[in-house]
Amino acid sequence: MTFLGKIIAVHSYKGGTGKTLLSINLAATFVKQGKKICLLDLDFRAPSLATLLNVTKSDYWLNDYLNGTCEIGKVLIDSSDRIHNGGKFFIGLANPTTEAIRDMSAKDRKWEMRALGRLLALRNSLLNDKGFDYLIMDTSPGLQYSSINAIVSADLVIVATTFDRSDVDGTRRMLRELYDLFEKKTEIVLNKVLNASSSLMKENVQTKIKDVYQAPLLGVIPCFCDVLRAEGNTIFVQEKPEHPFTKILDGIASEIDRA
Amino acid sequence: MTVQEALGKRPLQVLEKIRENLERLNEKMEVMIELQKHDRKDLQKPLADAPLDVMTLLSMPDHLRKTAMTLCRLGRATAEEIAQQTQRARAVESAYSNQLVIMGYLKKERKGRKAYFYVERENHG
Repeated sequence: MTFLGKIIAVHSYKGGTGKTLLSINLAATFVKQGKKICLLDLDFRAPSLATLLNVTKSDYWLNDYLNGTCEIGKVLIDSSDRIHNGGKFFIGLANPTTEAIRDMSAKDRKWEMRALGRLLALRNSLLNDKGFDYLIMDTSPGLQYSSINAIVSADLVIVATTFDRSDVDGTRRMLRELYDLFEKKTEIVLNKVLNASSSLMKENVQTKIKDVYQAPLLGVIPCFCDVLRAEGNTIFVQEKPEHPFTKILDGIASEIDRA
Repeated sequence: MTVQEALGKRPLQVLEKIRENLERLNEKMEVMIELQKHDRKDLQKPLADAPLDVMTLLSMPDHLRKTAMTLCRLGRATAEEIAQQTQRARAVESAYSNQLVIMGYLKKERKGRKAYFYVERENHG
């Protein structure tokens, strides 16, 4: 059996590190290359993909799939038209209503165990049967059940982190006490880096990666005002193909492809 | 009925029964050996139908977590199939899987000569 598809979980210790921005734009970068990509919003505490991708209505949500009330095929929305001249782009959304968020936060351990089984089953249903190249899971920050379920299901965990001291410390602990315990391939994306091109900052980045994280560096994303100005209204790599942010995402995607 | 009488009537069935019993005895001994190795720490809180969720996986000792995670991925597997994934000996995986059954995290089902381990996820709670 030839198996090429991979599951990627995008995770972080703290919120606001750029997980969702990275997830959407990494997915779009792969689609631009002609790949078949599925992007899933597993942040059930603060769903955001529906808003960011301007999806106002969905008959089925990922909540329904994890509840066992529908198949994954019913949840996925074909959004291939969002990326011009690209491959296939499907999204699966978390229900953003307050009632759904409350419902998901009250699930018991047996439900979470079944949810893990359903996430693990996506390898067969989406990668093997439907031929997706990558399944990208955007997760909640920290040690949430849904995030750890995604991490256990993934082949690669991308950890979005910043130079914020509490984030650095929390990320370091997660690397040792979470990803390592599950024997997960983990790579770091340093986001919102100020003065990223200065030699002092480059040295600082290398020190942090080598001494603190002791994990491979997948990419360094400077703090781009243009990205902040976009306010999540566009898929940045689609709208600004020549922007340095887009080039960095191209590099990250190529690195993942090579692995 | 003596063993000789039984053998005269249904020799194959009786031998098969003896072999099955020996295999079960062997499995129990493997579990006991592994428990000795790990000072019985793994069996401090035996549970009935304990959910094998990610927090439970995190709290397990490394050697059991590897077996449990492999079984989570495979869904249902023999000790031989688990051993192929973990690159550990079949007897070791058999012992660890049986430990997880005793702890209430896994179920075990025999089909002919093979024993299958699985995580019971559906029809509960």
